[in-house]
Amino acid sequence: MDRQQEFVLRTIEERDVRFVRLWFTDVVGTLKSVALAPAEVEAAFLEGLGFDGSSIEGLSRIYESDMLLQPDPSTFQILPWRGTEEPTSRMYCDILTPDGEPSASDTRGVLKRTLQKASGMGFTCYTSPEIEFYLLKSNKVGPAGVPEPVDFGGYFDHTPGGVVQDFRRRAVSTLEEVGISVEFSHHETGPGQNEIDLRHADALQTADNIQTFRTVVKEVAISHGIYATFMPKPFTEHAGSGMHTHFSLFEGDTNAFFEAGSEYQLSKTARHFIAGVLKHAPEFTSVTNQYINSYKRLWGGGEAPSYLSWGHNNRSALVRVPLYKPNKMQSARIEYRGIDSAANPYLAYAVILAAGLKGIEEEYPLSPAESEDIAAMTSSERRALGYSALPSSLDEAIRITEDSEFMAETLGEQVFEQFLRNKRDDWKEYRAQVTPYELHKDLGIL
Amino acid sequence: MSQTAGAEDPKAEQKLLSAMLSAGFIEPKKARRWLDAPELAQAHRDALLEGLRRSASPDMALPSLVRVLEKSPQLISEVNKGADAEALYRVLGASQALGDFFIRRPEHAEVLTGQGTFNQLKEFPASLLAETDDEQLMPIAPLDTLYRAEILKAIGADPKAGQPIATMTGKDAYIALRATYRRFLAELAAQDLMDPDPVGFMPTVGRYLADLAAAAIEGALAIARAEVASTTSTPEEVAAVQLAVIGMGKCGARELNYISDVDVVYAVGHTPLSELPENAEKLTDNDLARIGTELVQALSKAIMAPAPEPALWEVDANLRPEGKDGALVRTIESYATYYKRWAENWEFQALLKARPIAGSAELGAQWARAMSNFVWESASREGFVESVQAMRARVTDNIPAAEVDRQIKLGPGGLRDVEFTVQLLQLVHGRTEPSVRTKTTTDSLIALAKSSFIGRNDAQQFLLDYKKLRTLEHRIQLLYLRRTHLMPSKENEQRILARSYMAPSQCGSYTAEQMLKDWQKIKRSVRTLHERLFFRPLLAAVAHLSKDDVALSEESARDRLAALGYKDPKGAIRHIQALTKGIQRSAEIQRTLMPVLLGWFAQCVDPDAGLLGFRRISESLGSTPWYLRMLRDSTAAAERLCMILASSRFITDLIEVEPEAIAWLDRDSDLRPKDAEQLWAEAEAQIQRHSDSAQAMRRIRLIRRRETLRIAMGEASQVLELDQIMRGLSNIDQVVVNAALTIAQRDMFNEGGIEQLTDVVVIAMGRQGGQEIVYGSDADVMYVHVPREGADDREAQKQAIDLITVMTQLLKHATKPALRAERVLEIDADLRPEGRSGPMVRSLESYREYYERWADTWEFQALLRARPFAGSTDVQDAFIKLINNFRYPKDFALSQVIEIRRMKARVENERLPRGADRTRQLKLGRGGLSDVEWIVQLIQLCDAYKEPTLQTTSTLGALHAAHEAEIVSADDAAALQSAWKLATKIRAGNILRTGRASDTLSSAGADLEAIARWCGYGPGKARDLEEDYLRITRRARTVYERLFFDADLLSEE
Repeated sequence: MDRQQEFVLRTIEERDVRFVRLWFTDVVGTLKSVALAPAEVEAAFLEGLGFDGSSIEGLSRIYESDMLLQPDPSTFQILPWRGTEEPTSRMYCDILTPDGEPSASDTRGVLKRTLQKASGMGFTCYTSPEIEFYLLKSNKVGPAGVPEPVDFGGYFDHTPGGVVQDFRRRAVSTLEEVGISVEFSHHETGPGQNEIDLRHADALQTADNIQTFRTVVKEVAISHGIYATFMPKPFTEHAGSGMHTHFSLFEGDTNAFFEAGSEYQLSKTARHFIAGVLKHAPEFTSVTNQYINSYKRLWGGGEAPSYLSWGHNNRSALVRVPLYKPNKMQSARIEYRGIDSAANPYLAYAVILAAGLKGIEEEYPLSPAESEDIAAMTSSERRALGYSALPSSLDEAIRITEDSEFMAETLGEQVFEQFLRNKRDDWKEYRAQVTPYELHKDLGIL
Repeated sequence: MSQTAGAEDPKAEQKLLSAMLSAGFIEPKKARRWLDAPELAQAHRDALLEGLRRSASPDMALPSLVRVLEKSPQLISEVNKGADAEALYRVLGASQALGDFFIRRPEHAEVLTGQGTFNQLKEFPASLLAETDDEQLMPIAPLDTLYRAEILKAIGADPKAGQPIATMTGKDAYIALRATYRRFLAELAAQDLMDPDPVGFMPTVGRYLADLAAAAIEGALAIARAEVASTTSTPEEVAAVQLAVIGMGKCGARELNYISDVDVVYAVGHTPLSELPENAEKLTDNDLARIGTELVQALSKAIMAPAPEPALWEVDANLRPEGKDGALVRTIESYATYYKRWAENWEFQALLKARPIAGSAELGAQWARAMSNFVWESASREGFVESVQAMRARVTDNIPAAEVDRQIKLGPGGLRDVEFTVQLLQLVHGRTEPSVRTKTTTDSLIALAKSSFIGRNDAQQFLLDYKKLRTLEHRIQLLYLRRTHLMPSKENEQRILARSYMAPSQCGSYTAEQMLKDWQKIKRSVRTLHERLFFRPLLAAVAHLSKDDVALSEESARDRLAALGYKDPKGAIRHIQALTKGIQRSAEIQRTLMPVLLGWFAQCVDPDAGLLGFRRISESLGSTPWYLRMLRDSTAAAERLCMILASSRFITDLIEVEPEAIAWLDRDSDLRPKDAEQLWAEAEAQIQRHSDSAQAMRRIRLIRRRETLRIAMGEASQVLELDQIMRGLSNIDQVVVNAALTIAQRDMFNEGGIEQLTDVVVIAMGRQGGQEIVYGSDADVMYVHVPREGADDREAQKQAIDLITVMTQLLKHATKPALRAERVLEIDADLRPEGRSGPMVRSLESYREYYERWADTWEFQALLRARPFAGSTDVQDAFIKLINNFRYPKDFALSQVIEIRRMKARVENERLPRGADRTRQLKLGRGGLSDVEWIVQLIQLCDAYKEPTLQTTSTLGALHAAHEAEIVSADDAAALQSAWKLATKIRAGNILRTGRASDTLSSAGADLEAIARWCGYGPGKARDLEEDYLRITRRARTVYERLFFDADLLSEE
C-alpha cells in the first residue's frame, strides 16, 4: 500500500463516500465504469479487480476473458454532480493481465508507453485541447429528420439568459471542482455549438481529463434537460466538432520547440516533430477520426483541414504554428487540427506524439510553410505544390492504417489488431445501410 | 642554484642523486633543487633522506616539507630525527591535501611531531545517554567522544550542555569548525599511516572517521542554533526545538571513509516544558517544522558553504522518507507512520545502518527505539522476495565500462559485492536471529559466522579481503582528500599507493606490480563470494561438512531458498539432503558442487523442477565415475545440465531413462545429430545381430529414443540450428521406418517362407517429406507397390497390405522389456488417394490411373512434398518419375489456381479450433506455418516446371529458389521465412517445455517466459517474444495475402 492509496482510503472514510467508480476505456474511447462499495477498494488496490474483459467490446479477445482493473490512486476524485448526499467518486484504472502485467489491450497503457519513450528521449509531453460540441434538445432527431439544436436561431442570435449560458457556467464550475482547469469557453459558429478549452497539462493527464470532461458535459446537460453531443458532424450544413490540440515538448524546464531567431521561433526539434506528424497523418487518421461520421467533418468544407500541410497561423493547414508572443518562449507549441471530438484521447495522443517523436528521431525534413488557403486552391495547384490529402473515408483510412508499420509499433500488435477489427466491422455495417440521401435523391427518379 | 652546486662537484652530485633514488624519489633531478632551499639549511641531509625513505612519495613530501618549514621553522628538529619522525614524513608523503592544510593552518603543525590527542581516544566510547540497545551493544544515542568535546570547545560551545550553542557564527565559526575537524583528521591519518598493521587497523579508522564526522555535525548544529537564534527566530524558540541527526549508510554504521558523502536524516521534537524556562510556551507544529528546517539548512551551510577553510564534505539527506520531495525534518510519529505504511523495501535496507549521531540524545534514542523493528519486519513484507532478487541482480550489475577495470568499489569483485551480499544475508536471517543485526560490514561478517550462517574460514577470508580493499581505497582518497574509488592508472601513482599501503617499516618493499597482482587475487576471490556465502551454507544445513563449516538451521535455509525463487523450499531441502548425505565419493562431490548448482537452477524458469530432475538423475547414475568426473571437472557441461533440467520436461523425462546422455554435454560434437548413413549402419548391424524381430526392432527404437534426446540436448545447449534439428529428427524416423520395413520383409519372405510377390516402398509426405518435423511429429506417408513379373495383381495387393501391417506393428507395439519414455512413432497415411476410405496401398499403375483420371488439384499439391523414404529404390524412383508430371505440371490452369485458393480459405475457416485466437495459432493461424507453406506450394505448382530449382520438398528451400528465380522479392521471402521459422521454433519449444505438443502461443506468464527462453530471449523478455511473434506473423500474412490471392503466378515471360 503506498501513500496515494492510503490517501484515497482515508478520503473515502472522511468524506463518507458511498460509491467508488472504477473508470476505464475501451478501444474506441468509450468510458466504462464499475461501481465498488468503499469496503472493496482496499482489495482492489492490493489485488486488482477481476472483470470479464470479453463483455466489453474491443477490449478483450473472446478466449482470454479474465482481466484485472488496477485503480490509479492519483486520479481519485469526488464526482460533484452526484451531489453531496451520497458522495460518489471515481478512479481511472490500468488494465492488467491475470499475471499482473500491463495488458497489451489497454489503450491508456498505449499512451503511457509512448510517453515513456518520450521520456527516454528526454522529453515531457504537454497537450491542451480545444473541445467543440453541440447542445441539442435531445439525443433523438427532430421531426425534420435532423437533430435540433437548443438555440434554434443560429449562431448569430444572441440568447441572453438562455439555457446555454446557464449550462456553460455550471459546466465550467463543475470542471473546476473536479480539478480540470478551463482556459476558455465560448459559443462556436454552429447553432448550439460550444467550445471549451482545457489548460495544458501532461499528455496522460489531459487524456484522462478529456474523458472526465465528456462525462461532466453530458451530465450537466442532462441536468438542464438538454443533450450534449461530441459527434464529429451532426449537421450537414454546420461546422463539425473538432478537438484541435496544442502539443509542446519540454526538456526539463526548457521548451524544446522554441529557438529564438529562427523561422517562427521554431527549433529544429519542432520542425522534425511537425514533419513526423505530417508524414504519418494519413496512417493515424483512422485513430484521430475514427467514425464514419468523422469524414463528413473532414470533407465538409469550412475550416476542416483536409490536406497535409502546415503553416504559421494558417487556419486551413493541418498543423498550425500559433503566433508567437514575445518573451513567452515557454508557450511555443504546435496545433494539430485534424482530431475530432469523438476520438479516443489516449490513442489519438499516443499516435500523434509517436509520429512527432519519430520525426525527431529520424530527422525528417520539413516542407516549406504554406500561407494560402489550401482548400481554396484547385486540385492541380495542390498537386503542383505536392499537398496530398487525408483519407476521404473511414474505409480508406483503415486501409492505410492496415499497411502501417508505424501504427502497429505505436499501438502494439494487440491493440492494432483489435482496433482495426472494430473499425472494419463499423464500416461493414455502414456500407449495408440505405441512407436517406439515396432515398431522397434517387427513389423518385429510378 | 642546484646546477651551480652540481657543476662544482659532479661526483658528489651524482652520489646525492643516487641516494635520493634509493630513498624512493621517482624524479630526483626535479626534486633536487628543493634540497638547497634555505628552510632546509639547518637540516641534516642524511637524516632528511632517511626520513623521506618512509614517505610514500618523497617527491611530494619534500616540497611540502619545505613550505611547511617556511611557516613552522620549529619543525626542523623533527626533520633531523630522520626515520624516527614518522608522523612528519608519512603524512606529508601520503597526502598532498594534508600538507596543504599545515601550510594553510600552521597553528596545527604540532600534529606533525606525532603529538596529539590520539591516545586519549576511546574506540568504543559511551553514549551521551547511559543506555544501549542490549542486543547489539550499539549505543542508541550520539557518542560522547573527545572529538565532540574538542570541536564544540573550538567554536565556544559547552559540550556538557543539552543543546550546545556556539558563541561564534558565520565564516569565523565555519573556519574554526573545519580547521579543528581537519586537525583531528590529520592526527588520525598519521596514526593510520604509522600503524605497523594498517589492514588490521582499518575498522578502527572507520570508527574514528565516523565519530569525527558526527562531531563535525554536532559542531555545525551548535553554530546553526546560534545563527538561527540571532536571525529568523528567537533564542527561546530555538531552545524549544529538539533536533536529532540520524546517520545512515557508512557514517551510521561507523565505517566511514576518509572522504565520502555523509548520509543523514533529521528528526524534530518539542523540548519538554520542564526543561524550558517557566514562562515558555509550547511551539506550534508549524513552528517546530519551520525552525527545524532552518536549523538543518544552517547546519549544512556550516559544513558545506564556501569559506576560507574549504568545505568538508556533502551532507546528503536524500535517504529521507519520500527522498528529494520529502520534508527535511519530521517528527518521530511521522517517521513511524511512513515506515509502517509507505516505505519501499530498499528503504528498510537503508535503515539497517541507521544510528543517532548528533543533536538531542533523548530524541535520537526515541527515534532508534521506534524504528528498530521495522527493518526486521520487512522480510515478511510483500514483494520482499522480488526486491531481494533485484538486489541480487544489482550485485552483479555492470558499471561504466571505461572504469570497470579500475573500480575498487563497484566493479566485479569490488567492495560493493561484499557489502551487498552481507546485507542480503542480514535481511534474510536477521528476522529470526537478532545477533546478526550488526551494523558494520566487518562486524556483520563475524556475527554471521558466529551464528553459523556462513562458514568461518570464508568469513575470515572475506573479512581480510574487505579490509584490504578498504585500506587501498583509504590511501587513494588520502592523497588529495577526494572522493574516488578508482585505482590510479599511472604507474608512478600506483607506486606511491603501494608505498603508502604498507606499514612504515616496509615502505618501499612492496612494488606496484605486486600490489596490482594481489588486488586481482582479491577481486577473484570476492567474485566467488556470493556462491560461497549464500549457497554453500545451504548445503551445510542438511549435510555435515568439515568441522569448519557451519550448520545453518533448516528454517534459515528455507528462508534463503525462498528468497532465491524456489517455490517449494521444503522439497528443495529434501532433495539437497538426499543428494549430499553419506560418505561415498559421490556425496562428497555433490557437496562441493551443490552451492553452484543451486545458483544455476535459480536463474531458470523452474528451479524446483531442476533440482528434482537432478536428484533423480544422480540417483540413477549413482557413483558412475564419468558422471562424477564430469560434474567435478566440466563446469560448462554441468551448467548446461542444470539449465536443461530446470527448463525442459521433455528432455528431463528422456535423460532419466538414458542418463548416459549427460556425457554428451561435455563435447559439442556429441550433441550434433548423426548423419543418415551412420544411423542406418547402426540399425543394419542390429538387424543382422538379432534374428528375433521384436528384439531387433526394440534396439532400433532405442536408437530413435537416444538420437531424439541427442538433438533435443543439442538444441538446449544452443549447438544446433533449426534446419539441423528438423533434418536430424527426420533422418531418425526414416531410419526406423526403413528398418521396420526390412525386418517385416525378413519375417515374411526369408523366415516365413512366403514367396515375395511385390516390392513395397514408403513415400514420405507432408512435413516429413519436407524434412521439417519437430519432436513428436507423426510421419505422414503413402505406400506404393510394384508386383513382380508374373504375380497375380490381387495376391500382390494383399501381400503388400500384410507387409505394411507387420511393419506398422513393429513400429508401435509394446516391446519387452518396455521402452520407458519412448514416444511411439505414429504413421499417418491419410494423405493417400481417397484418404481414409481409399486402399492403404496402391500399385504404381493404380496411382498412374488415379492421378490421370480422378485426382483433385489438392492431391497434386500434397505430392509436392512426396519424398522417397523406404524400400526398393527402383520403385521409389519410378513413383517419383510418375508424380513429377503431376506435381510440376507443364500447364497449371487458372481454374486450378482458383481451386487451391478456395481450398485454403476453407481449411482456414474449418480447421481452426472454435473460438481460438487466430493470431496465436502457430499452424493454421494468421501468418502461421500453413500460410507460408500454401503460398510456396502454389508457386511450385505454377512455376516448378519452368524453374527446376523449385522442385524441392523443402518449404524454405523452395522459398529460397522462388526468390532466386525472382518470383518472390527478397523482402517478401524474408517476411515469410522468419514467420515460418519462429512458429516452428515455438512449436518445438512448447513440446520441450511441457513434453506435450501444442500449436498455440501461450499467453500465460510462466509458460510464455519459458518459451521465450527457448527461443533465445533473455530473462523477463516474454512480452517481447509475444510482440515479435504477432508482428512477424502479421507481416507474413500481408505478404501471403498479396501473393496468394493477387499475384499473377501464371504469367508467361
